[in-house]
Amino acid sequence: MFKQFEKIFQPKLSEVYKDVDFEKLGVRLHHSISTVFGRSLAVRELDSGSDNATEIELVNLTTPYYDIERFGVTFVASPRHADVLIITGAVTHNMEIAVRKTYEAIPYPKLVVAVGDDACDGGIWKNTYAVNGGADRVIPVDIKIPGNPPAPHEIMLGLLALMEYIKKKKKS
Amino acid sequence: MKEFITDIVKYLKLSDASVREGLNHELYVNLAGYEFRNTMELLSKEFSLIAVFCVQNFNGHDGFTLFYAFEQKGRYEVVVFQRPLSSFQATSVADLFPSASWYEREINDGFGIEFTDAFDKRRLFLHEVYPPDFHPLLKAFRNHPIETRKDIMPEQEYRFNEFAGEGVYQIPVGPVHAGIIEPGHFRFSVIGETIFNLEIRMFYKHRGVEKLAEGKTPLECVPVAESISGDETAANATAFCVAVEKISGIDVPPRAWQLRTVFLELERIYSHLGDMAGMITDVAYPVGASNFYILREEILRQNSAITGSRFLKNIVAIGGLKHDVAIGALVGLLKYLKTFPASLKDALDLAYRSPWVIDRLETTGIIEKRLIDPLHITGPAARASGVDTDTRIDHPYGIYSHLPLQKHVLEKGDVMCRFAVKAAEIMDSVQIINDLLIEGIKQGEVFASTRVRDGYALGVVESPRGQTMHWVYIKNGLIDRYKVRTASYCNWRAIEHAIQGNIVPDFPLINKSLNLSYAGTDL
Repeated sequence: MFKQFEKIFQPKLSEVYKDVDFEKLGVRLHHSISTVFGRSLAVRELDSGSDNATEIELVNLTTPYYDIERFGVTFVASPRHADVLIITGAVTHNMEIAVRKTYEAIPYPKLVVAVGDDACDGGIWKNTYAVNGGADRVIPVDIKIPGNPPAPHEIMLGLLALMEYIKKKKKS
Repeated sequence: MKEFITDIVKYLKLSDASVREGLNHELYVNLAGYEFRNTMELLSKEFSLIAVFCVQNFNGHDGFTLFYAFEQKGRYEVVVFQRPLSSFQATSVADLFPSASWYEREINDGFGIEFTDAFDKRRLFLHEVYPPDFHPLLKAFRNHPIETRKDIMPEQEYRFNEFAGEGVYQIPVGPVHAGIIEPGHFRFSVIGETIFNLEIRMFYKHRGVEKLAEGKTPLECVPVAESISGDETAANATAFCVAVEKISGIDVPPRAWQLRTVFLELERIYSHLGDMAGMITDVAYPVGASNFYILREEILRQNSAITGSRFLKNIVAIGGLKHDVAIGALVGLLKYLKTFPASLKDALDLAYRSPWVIDRLETTGIIEKRLIDPLHITGPAARASGVDTDTRIDHPYGIYSHLPLQKHVLEKGDVMCRFAVKAAEIMDSVQIINDLLIEGIKQGEVFASTRVRDGYALGVVESPRGQTMHWVYIKNGLIDRYKVRTASYCNWRAIEHAIQGNIVPDFPLINKSLNLSYAGTDL
């Protein structure tokens, strides 16, 4: 029991495991989310046939080393609550209907980020019988974050690029 | 080996001539049609079915050959029965080996072979969107994008087993789940809050791994093996490479095997840590889970420092390793592992000292011991149910026969046992890596020059989730058939049984306690 209290009064884990570069990136992302989206960015993740490594990195973003929620990014349970859809995988035929339905369930305006090589262009599965080959074959994709899988800070950079993209889109 | 051949021949009343030795501690046994049923019945008493798969045009036989791979407790060798078919029809063994049902449905999808007396003839990895007469693993089909069915009538939809009766209702879940999770469909039949039956429908992530490998050189195929399941990269790559190395008679340098062992054990550590974090998260205790997540992230960083990849990709190669590992990185790992046990103990204490955690883990999701062999449940799930199986010890590969390994076996088979087995195995893996690094990794090459020969062999490796099996057949220097069966493929069936009688809110916890790979099942 004592240990529990110790934990509560300890400095926040994200303070203990601070990574200076990542922190700077986070502050930039937070700032740009605040200007573009009011305060927070709600992300729904959808796996359309990845090898699961990308999912692990996305989960990692929410763990103490990164704790992306500090910077205004939350992963939400329902597409109805989402601003952004993060899609991983080359969109298998077996997942195609579910992908379309999930996309349709997101309220407008909606944005899609393809994360990982498979989602970007089909990766090694390109031109095979079981996949569509790249998320943009099935739903419109706004930003692609390549990598096998991309590391957490690369995903952060991608989200930052997404904010810039929206700003530009707003201006034009 | 000789002794085992004599035993087998005697036990199954076969002729000597029908048995031959394989290249990697396997026995291949030719089975004629009239012996088939009898032999299978005898086998069902003492042997466990590892996998069933089909090969077209094997070794000059024009047509299909079915392969049934078995293991027997206490035997190093795997026995593979070969049954040549003369038509598109075969007899089912699913009544003797329940796990065979999925394999037979899979072969039906892949090759169009009908198992005439099978009790379940539904399609498996080809969902409704695939045209009716499409069979991707036939040699006549060249891998290219296909047109899928757009308008699927309600009567063409997949039929789940129906359970009816007073107060029984269905809860359909998935394929898209409420979180960062892979896709799969769970169909619960529930009475009140208690689960009466669960049917799992997988293969939403079917990417065509086996067909993709065909026609590639073995070298080109390593990335395919690595992408079977993201957090079992080293295990799957190693199993594939072992098979190819045995076929080609390549001697992997000792340094390469020592380093491979370091990777395989690191993979076990970070995978188990993720599972444990997941279990603690699913009992609504995020503070407790964060300690496990912190440790997992630290191991992923060590992976990256050593190999350049957080998931150990792009390092294991046919003949050894793609590149050597810097001594500085290994020293760094050794230094880190010194602090690791104390941190893990803190994390475990926090969980074990919380009555509400224990309350949720104990007596939840019991996998009964009697199911382990018939379903070929493998890995920590089997060990937590009182069965001492571990591929590293039962079918040792590389340097594992020289390592002082132990099996952690617990009896109750509930979530708590699986949690404890994984905790113990993490400590073992840390010890293994420590010993290897302190004794000193041997100097020398990490790569033996490779000239790939034709032939076939089996590679079995203990991945974090259990036994992963890769069977490779090389013809004219190219992969002709690549069969993969991961531990997850077997263990999904365990969840269907473990869940019965539990309440719906415990499903995520039971699922996490096995933490199976969807990608590794769907291929």
